[in-house]
Amino acid sequence: MTMDGKQQGELPIISESDIVACRKVIRTLSTNAGFGITDVTRIVTAVSELARNIYVHAECGKMRWNIMHQPGKIGIELIFEDNGQGIADIEQAMQPGFSTVKSMGMGLPGVKRLMDEMRIDSIAGAGSTVTIKKWARAR
Amino acid sequence: MFNESLSVIKLKNILLVTVPDDPGDDMIYELQNKVLSAMEKYESAGLILDISSVNVMDSFFARTISETTQMVTLMGGHTVVAGMQPGVAITAAELGLHLGHALTALDVDSALEMLNHNLANAV
Repeated sequence: MTMDGKQQGELPIISESDIVACRKVIRTLSTNAGFGITDVTRIVTAVSELARNIYVHAECGKMRWNIMHQPGKIGIELIFEDNGQGIADIEQAMQPGFSTVKSMGMGLPGVKRLMDEMRIDSIAGAGSTVTIKKWARAR
Repeated sequence: MFNESLSVIKLKNILLVTVPDDPGDDMIYELQNKVLSAMEKYESAGLILDISSVNVMDSFFARTISETTQMVTLMGGHTVVAGMQPGVAITAAELGLHLGHALTALDVDSALEMLNHNLANAV
């Protein structure tokens, strides 16, 4: 359970300050869900990378979050949706060092290493959806 | 919420910057600008970036630190990044981040010793 008992929600990603806002909300949610400090750092860093991807590559988008309960474990699911160009070649985008803009090119493959599950759905010209999940043992 | 400001402290010939816990992109740019102007103004020989409060470092932040280090080097100074939290270090390694040519230290005390040692040897 999160502090106010809410199990899902969404935040817009339009401006640069929304990246910080997403990080703050997810830090609180994942801490309250029972993730340890290192996992919280991994999750928040993944959020920062994916929210920035939307801000840099698409005009606008949003992050939806979902707290998941399963027997013995609790998880957080984060879905990043944008209306951008889409990812032309997902396999290429997952190669370390690949970047279409000035960056270290560690974004997508790096995020995959930080999380337990990751899925990318993209239609060229019609936007992308990146879904990530992380699990913790239930308290 | 986003109007925390950043101060660059001059300690003899060294600059010390304490980075707040969750810096936004604006603040990271401000850091680079303030540091470079202060390097010129005070003719500093070194820079310490105290990141002990920082609880998230993404690729943008790491890239800016790496670039700032390179700029400081070009201006003739050394950069030490001090106090990275364990969780941040684990995440940065897993994400594949690097800080370019920045030196690293456990805390500001060791960073000061490191810089003083480097500067003494350089003379």
